[in-house]
This record gives sequence, C-alpha cells and structure tokens, in this order.
Amino acid sequence: MRASLRKKGAKRFLKALRADKEILYTNTGPRDTGQSDYKNRFTLHDMARLVPLYNETGYFSVEVHGGARLHQDLLNNKIDPFEEAGMWAERMPNVLTQTLIRSTNVWGYRMYPRNVVRLAVRGFLPAIDVWRCFDFLNYIPNMAPIAEEVLAEGRIFEPAISFTESSECSDAYYLRVVKEIVGMCGGHGGIILCIKDMAGVGSPARIRRLIDAILQKYPDLVIQYHRHATDALAIPAMAAAAAAGARLFDVTDDAFSRFYGHVPVRPLTRYLRELDFSVRLDMARASEASDVIRSFIRNYENFESQYKGFSHDVTEHRMPGGAFPSSFEQAEKGGFLDLMPYILKGMAYGNRIIRYFDVTPGSQITWTTWAGIIQRFHKEGGEQNVRKLFHVLDRFFQAGERLEALSQADEHLLLRLYSGATDDLKNLLLGRYGPLPFGWPRDWVYRSAFGEGWEEKVKSERIESSPLARLPDDDLERSRKAMEEELGRAATDEEFLLYLMHPKAAVDFLKFRQAYGDTTVLPTPVWFKGLRRPGDSVSIPLSGKPHEIKLVSIGEGVGGVKQVVLSVDNIMHVFPVELPEAALARKAVRKASPSMKGEIGAPVTGTVWRIGAKDRVVKPGDRVKRGEEVMNIEVMKTENAVKSPIAGVIKEICVKVNEGAEEGQLLAVIASEGD
Amino acid sequence: MQRTGPFRKIFIANRGEIACRAIRPCRELGIRAVVGYSDCDELSLHVKLADEAVRLGPSPASMSYLDIEAVLRAARDSGCDAVFPGYGFLAENPDFAEAVEREEMIFIGPSARVMRILGDKIAARQALSASGVPVTQGLTGVEDAEQVIRFGDRAGWPVIIKATAGGGGKGMQKVISPYEVEEKLEAARSVAEKAFGKGDVYVEKFIEGGRHIEFQFLADRYGQVIHLGERECSIQRKHQKLVEEAPSSLLAPEVRRRMGDVVVKAMKDIGYETAGTLEFLVDKAGKFYALEVNTRIQVEHTVTEMISGFDIIRKMYKIAAGERLSLRQEDVTMRGHAIQCRINAEDPKNGFAPSFGRIAFLRQISGPFVRTESGIYQGWQVPPFYDSLLAKICSVGKDRKTAIDRMRRALREYEIWGVKTTIPLLKRIMDHPAFVAGEIHTGFIEENIAGLTEYEEVEEEIFKVAKFVAEVSAFGRNVYSA
Repeated sequence: MRASLRKKGAKRFLKALRADKEILYTNTGPRDTGQSDYKNRFTLHDMARLVPLYNETGYFSVEVHGGARLHQDLLNNKIDPFEEAGMWAERMPNVLTQTLIRSTNVWGYRMYPRNVVRLAVRGFLPAIDVWRCFDFLNYIPNMAPIAEEVLAEGRIFEPAISFTESSECSDAYYLRVVKEIVGMCGGHGGIILCIKDMAGVGSPARIRRLIDAILQKYPDLVIQYHRHATDALAIPAMAAAAAAGARLFDVTDDAFSRFYGHVPVRPLTRYLRELDFSVRLDMARASEASDVIRSFIRNYENFESQYKGFSHDVTEHRMPGGAFPSSFEQAEKGGFLDLMPYILKGMAYGNRIIRYFDVTPGSQITWTTWAGIIQRFHKEGGEQNVRKLFHVLDRFFQAGERLEALSQADEHLLLRLYSGATDDLKNLLLGRYGPLPFGWPRDWVYRSAFGEGWEEKVKSERIESSPLARLPDDDLERSRKAMEEELGRAATDEEFLLYLMHPKAAVDFLKFRQAYGDTTVLPTPVWFKGLRRPGDSVSIPLSGKPHEIKLVSIGEGVGGVKQVVLSVDNIMHVFPVELPEAALARKAVRKASPSMKGEIGAPVTGTVWRIGAKDRVVKPGDRVKRGEEVMNIEVMKTENAVKSPIAGVIKEICVKVNEGAEEGQLLAVIASEGD
Repeated sequence: MQRTGPFRKIFIANRGEIACRAIRPCRELGIRAVVGYSDCDELSLHVKLADEAVRLGPSPASMSYLDIEAVLRAARDSGCDAVFPGYGFLAENPDFAEAVEREEMIFIGPSARVMRILGDKIAARQALSASGVPVTQGLTGVEDAEQVIRFGDRAGWPVIIKATAGGGGKGMQKVISPYEVEEKLEAARSVAEKAFGKGDVYVEKFIEGGRHIEFQFLADRYGQVIHLGERECSIQRKHQKLVEEAPSSLLAPEVRRRMGDVVVKAMKDIGYETAGTLEFLVDKAGKFYALEVNTRIQVEHTVTEMISGFDIIRKMYKIAAGERLSLRQEDVTMRGHAIQCRINAEDPKNGFAPSFGRIAFLRQISGPFVRTESGIYQGWQVPPFYDSLLAKICSVGKDRKTAIDRMRRALREYEIWGVKTTIPLLKRIMDHPAFVAGEIHTGFIEENIAGLTEYEEVEEEIFKVAKFVAEVSAFGRNVYSA
C-alpha cells in the first residue's frame, strides 16, 4: 500500500480508491485512542506486537503519530518519535501511516513560525503517509505551509473541518470552509476531507445532512468521519455518515475502546455490513489484535480516566476526547476534582460567550480558563458562589446578552469573569491565533479580560489578518546553538527538530537517553514498575544480542539512598539510587521575599520557557519598565507573563530557559531606579 | 653473597602486576613465592596468587613497600633465600640490596656497588663514556644559572635539567632559552629534593624530536654478557611511557649491531650482573647517546620476551642462583614485532588525573598472539596510594602492522568499568596514521593530545538500561511516567 502511494502519488492513488465503493478504516488505537483513554502512555514494546496484525487486517491507515503523542513521547515515554514513526512505516507495508497535525501548532501548543512548521513536516514526511490537519478556528490559511509540503511530496493531505453542533455551524458555514480548503489544495483530487467530530457531539441526522450537503457540492470528494465515542451515539452517527456517502471511518480495536476514544471496530463492521455496506476488514485478525491488547492493557490502568462512563453532556461542554482524561488528571493533581461538574458546566457557558472550536489549543484555553474561573469563585464563596455565577449567566443569556439587564452587583460579578485571563486567552481575543470563526466576542469580554484601557488594546493590537504571515521566521542557527549548549554536544537534524517543537522536553529526553540508553526495549511492566521481587528478571535484546537483568536485592534506603543490587549479564552490580525526597532536599529553591519589592517570584509553578518578552531578550544590566514582561512561564500548556513590579535595572536572573520554577521561587532581582 | 643451587623460596618485594608476573616463574621452577602487602592491598591479586603473604604495614608506601626494615623482616621471617624487588619501590636502592645481603639472602639484581655507580647519573655518564658509549654533551656540578646559560650557549638550546638521583623522568625540565633557566633550575631542584631527598641536578643538551630506544641485556657473574635487542619507547607523556615496542622501526641492522656491541662492552667493563637496560636517545640523523642504565627489570620487558622467546625474570632468578648464562649472542634471534600498551587508571581527557574506584566489571583479553600482565580483578578496589598501572597488554605478529592489528583487537576486547583508563586513548594511538607509519617521537602524545582524547566514553548500553531498571525498582514506579 505504501509502495503504491509512493509510486502513484496521492492523486492517482485516491482516484483508484474512489473507483471502488468499499468502506475503509483508520485505526486510531496507537495514537488518538491511546491519548483519549490512556494518556498516550502506550509503550513501543506493546505497540510492536500489534504491528504485524494491523498489517494484515485490511486497514486503510493506522494513526501512529501526532496530536500530543510526540510531546508525551519525549516527556514521559522516553520514546524517540522518529524511531517510533520509523518502526510503523517499516514494519507495516500494507497499511498507511497517519498523523494528526494541529495547523500552526504542529505537534505543540504554540504557534510556530512558518520555517519551523515546514521543517517539522519535512522531518516526518519519510515515515508518514497521511497528514490529517485541523485548525481550531477553521482558519484555512493557517494550514497552507503544511498543505504545500505534503502535496509537493505526493503524500495524502487530509484537511479536517472542526465540527460541532451549534446554530452558527450550519451547512452553509461548513461549505464555505470546504470551498476554501479545495481552493487552497488546488482541487479535491489529491485530498481526503475529514469531518473532525473530536468531542463526539454530532447527532446521526446532523452528520448525515452535513455530508450530504458537501457531497452534493463536491460529489468526488473522499470524506472521512472522525468521531469520538463520548456521547455514546457514535455507531449510529457513523452509519448515517456512511449512508450519506462518507468512505472512511476512524475506529479502534474492541479491547482498546473505552468512553472518550473511538468506536470498536468489529461491532461497527457487523452493523455496516448488515446495512449492506461493503467493508474492508479481516474480522479474525481484528479479533486477534484485541486478544493481544487484552494481554497488556492492564499495564495502563493507572492512566485511564478518573471519570468513567459515557458523558452525554459533552454536547454542551464539548470537551474533546483527546483532552478529557488529561483534564481530569490535572484536576486530581490540583486537588479540585470535586469541582469538575461545575467546570464542565462553565465550559458550556464559555462556548456561547467566545465562539471557537474546542480542540487544541482552543480546548486547553477553554479548560484552563474555566478551571481558573470556577476555582476562583469557589475559593471566594464556596459552591454557592459558583451557583450564583451560573444563575447570573443564565439571566444574562435570557436577556439577550445585554449587561443593562443585570443589576449593578451582577454586572460587576460578570465583569470579573475573565479578570484572571491567561496570556493564551488574551492572545486569542486579540486575534493572534487567527480571526475567530464567528466574529469577535462582545465588548464586555474585552473589558473583563483587559480591564481599563481595553478599548485601546482592541484598537491597536487586535489582528484581523493571518497571524502566521506576521510571525517572523525562527533564527534556526541561533536556536541550534542554544540547544547544543544545553545539550553539551552537537545535535542531529532530527534532534534539533524535536527541540524546536518542545525545547525543554527534547533536551530532557536526550539527556535521559544519554544516561539510560534506549529504555523502549523494556517490557511494559518493567518500564512502569521495575523488577519487584528478588529473582525477577528481564531479558532484553540490544543490537540483536540477548541480555539479562535480574534483581538480587533492594536495600532499606539508608541516608536517602537505596542500594539496588542487580545481576547484569550474570555480573552483580550495586546501584545506589537516591530517593526523590533526598534529591529534592538537596536542591532547595530560593524563594522571593515578598518584602523586597525588586525580587520577582514565580506567580505559578511551571516552566520558564522564555526570558524577556516576545520582542526583547533581557539580561542582567538591562533597564526594564514597570510592568514590563521579564520572562514567561508555561504551565498546563498556557503562557504566563512575569512582569517587573518596579522600574529599574535587572540585577540578577536566577533561572535559565527551560528550567522548572515553583510558585514563589525567586526568578529575578530588579534594582529600583533610585538605587 | 654468592650462592649456587636453586632457590627454595623467593620474597617478592612489590605489588600489582609486576608482583604477579614475578610469581609465575617461581611456579614454573618449583620455588615458593612470598609477597608482602600493605593494609589496602590485603585483598589484592598478588596476595591471592602468592603461596604466602606477609603484612608489611599501613597503606602509604613509605610505611610498607618502602620500609626496608619491614620488608627485610617479612622476607627473613618467612624463610626466603632471595628477594626480588621488581621495579619502583626499593628496586634501585643500593642500601636495600646491601641490607638483603647482610641478612644472608640473595638480592635478585646487580650488586650495590654497580647500583651506586649507575644510580648516580653523573657517575654513570662517566663510566659509560669511559667504556666508549656516546653520551650527550653535559654539564655536571651545576651551581648557578649562569653556568647553565654558558653551557646552553655553547652546546645549543634547548637543554634539559635532570636530577642526579632517581629516574622515571621526575623533575626533568626542558629549557628552551636562557630566559627560562633560573625558573626551571629552581623547579628541577625542588622536585629532586622532594622526590629523592637530594636537590643535585645536571644539565644535558636536549635532543629535539629524539626517539627513546633502549637495549635489554643479560649478564651473569662469570662475565658473560649478551643483549636481547632494543625496544622503542617513544610514545610517552611527561617521560612516562605508554606504548613500547620491539624492535624499533628506526634502527638499521648496522646501527643495531653497533649499539649492541657498545652495550655489551660497557656492561662487561662495569662488571654488571643480572638483567638491565641501557637507554639511548637517537636523533634524526641516527646518532645515538646513552641516557642512563636501569638496574632492574622494566615494565616493558615483555615485548623483548615476545620476540626473543626468553623469560627475562626466570633468567634473573637463575643468574642470581649462580647459574651460568649458557646463551651466546648468536643464539639470540628475534622473530617478528611486539607491542605493549600500558593500561593506567588515569583519565586522559582530564590531564591524566588518577582515577580510583572499584572495578565493576572486567573482561581480560585472550586469543592468539596476545598476552596480558595485570594486577587486577573484577570487584577489586583500585587504591589511591601507588602507581596507576593496572595492567599491560602485549601483541606480537610477523611484522609491525600485524602486531598493531592484534593490539587493536585486544584493546577492543579489554573492558574495565568503574575507573577511567588509558584504553580509549591507546585505541586512538593505534589508529593514528603517524603511529601506524612509525613516525613517532617522544613528543608524539603532547603534539597530538587534542585528537587523541577526542573519544567518547560510551557506557555499555545494557549497563545504562540496568541503571534505569535499578531506579524504577527502588521506587516501585517510573518517576518519568508518573
């Protein structure tokens, strides 16, 4: 299949596909299902067992790459994304490999300059055949550099329209979006159009109508329906899509299916065949794959969502399946899991106030915004205060979104809604991601988010055109130098690309590799939990030769150090392992003193990803104005400016780029002008 | 003391690889081997290999291996009839040799008288010169810098300042111009004072780009002297040899014969007994100058053994026991080429800083045409008190290229974990085009140090993964994927 695509190119390949009427599947198990229901923790060791089965099941493609997987690979899985993509491409010749790319956000959480976007695409073009690309604003110009690269290489470009159900999202609206897409791609012959129902909200009738409308206009378009299972209506919706003429569907293995991922492949197949559709699938092989999955899926129990069961209210709050479990995880870690029902309800209101699509990065903005609002209101006055907020919002909407209809106290309350807006939300409101699909929100939102001077802000800073066109290219030479300095050695082009996507995670990953080698050779239980009892052993192949690690003993942990004795290839070694508590105590952090006006503390716990402002690098000795941004902290994928509380000269910068900072940790010292 | 008839028991007054090496011929000859050990050496390999072991004292060498009284007592009380000193420690100390004889044991080495002459650089130069051995222009009885400057102006710069006592390159100072004399003279005196208890120095003309070539000889007490050809020791760093080979790729047969004749005649004249080495510096024009005589077994004696077929230490035992050297010079034929590499516990990347620690894993070399002499084993702790030489490995082949190929293979097999070693540096040397071409001189390492230390120290992949497994097992969870 891959050979055929590479020989014919996307256009001729899709022409042949259009000629026969079979229903085809994309198996999303390794990537999107893994992300939606298992926090992207699948190991290569387990995935490798599925490769030969997938290769024989008759799938059109397997989604093996993209979304949050690349970041998670670096951060947690310690998998080299290039090795991973290469493994699939090499060992699965009968099936295409597929990625999901987030337009300008690529596989990260920021808008990348065009030269970085193109470099990223080129880096993975050798291993990836199908490039599904979406934009959370359906702002098609943002997709242009990706489309150009993929089409030029003759791979399949699959632009996706972000779908949700609301009054604005009419057939007419989507037809406009499709028209733009077809225009950008120079026709519809070389592409697959994806309807991206990432939250799983489309009713069967709505989906049927939409596809019908598109196909009436573009009868030859190959349409794929991407659909999460969250609302529990996915199978009928898919049958409706098939009836309307959609040809490709996203599925997952039966044993992978949970609540936020995708429909199980065998039930869907049986149902579609009963409805007389011809479906390409080897049921026996699909069943074998599920058997294999059942043998390892319990390794990931800890990563399944805290909230189980379908959630039909997704049609209101629209949390996409890929973000659902990680939101719950963050809520649990942050100690506000009990507020989740309120947050989800709040998000439903939010969707009506600022209108865009809840998918990366929009979903993160919605989530952090509302997690923040609800926590703030809860802190101020408990659940009663949160309910009061909802009550005011209800009245506000009933009155046609007019502030005048509210009492002064309620108006005051509403205007505080976005007072804690993150930089990402502010950037969104100022058009820095692109124009919002259904127009800018009302003035009161800007008043709430920017406070005094909001009008000036809107007038002078809100962009109405393509933000990508304004973003200057990355100075690659400089970035590479910075990376190699951090890494302490020269970097390969592939390593540099990982750094451009996720600077800190990439350097951490490469340092991990230097220290621990390629840990993907470990069986999953050993990867997650190690060897448990003396005598437990693990056999691992390295460069084609067998090796064995056997646990002899684990010491008591005297003085913060546990002595672990392993027999490595029959030779005993003692490994002193420092316990995390001891390691933490060793690097106690310097805190900013609140009484010292010039000491800047970290406002939140996160990662310092930039020192200086977007347009200004700062260093000790530099003069800064009061309120000027001196650095920026990334937390939960949002940006937070750290501003100088006083005007003065930077005396000291106490952190480095890509270092973690705890709340209150001393970041910089400013000597006031008077000194 | 004169003696005839084989020894029953030999005391080996040394440690490390040379003590282990010296035990081996004892075994072959049916002689019991006794070793002394310091506190940190109680679990060392020489103790394990010996038939008996006697504690000498605390770990510092001055309180154990260098303590003449302690060594004598150990040898006498264990009933030894001879003492073999190896190299270093007391090997070139005539007082020790005398004390051994006083205790009615045989000192396996030259007489104290010969050691005294040859141990004093100036006396040695005179004796050698008198016997017709060429020596470099020199200045003895150095009093002040003025003298040195006059000498330098006459003989030509650079010159080299050396301690009259001691050896091993300690305190040597190369002086490039008159302006440096004062400072370097001071430094040389100070080091000599500290190392040998005697601040006397002398000055020689420095031979630029010279090659270090030494002749091995054997002499019995009956006046029979033969030489076993030369060794080339030009790969050194700060006068510490690192790679040695035999024969030298430099010497024409005619020069070799002339040098050999000179050596044999000089040793006959001096009345030398047992094995020894005469070191030469050979300049670019092929002219040779005697440097000094080493009155002991040398670290690199192995390469001579590999191509001559003789066990030099075994010969030393027999000569000391009064046997006649039955070999004639014409019986000595050299076959092929041998190379030795010294594996030191040092970090070449970090200025050759000594490296101590436990040997976590050791894979010794084996296979055809290679030999290893070591004093280490897996699990052993490298102590910080002594010389950093862990082991030496030799390869032999029909020609130099074959020997280099085999050495490359051996170095690739040799694995020592837990301490930094010279192995990666030696690998780079074996691959260096100039070395392979035989274009070597005593400045080779200094000149090429940047490239030679440009290796990456790669930990075995399995060991890295094991480190990870140890961490996850200690916590019971993966902190990276929490």
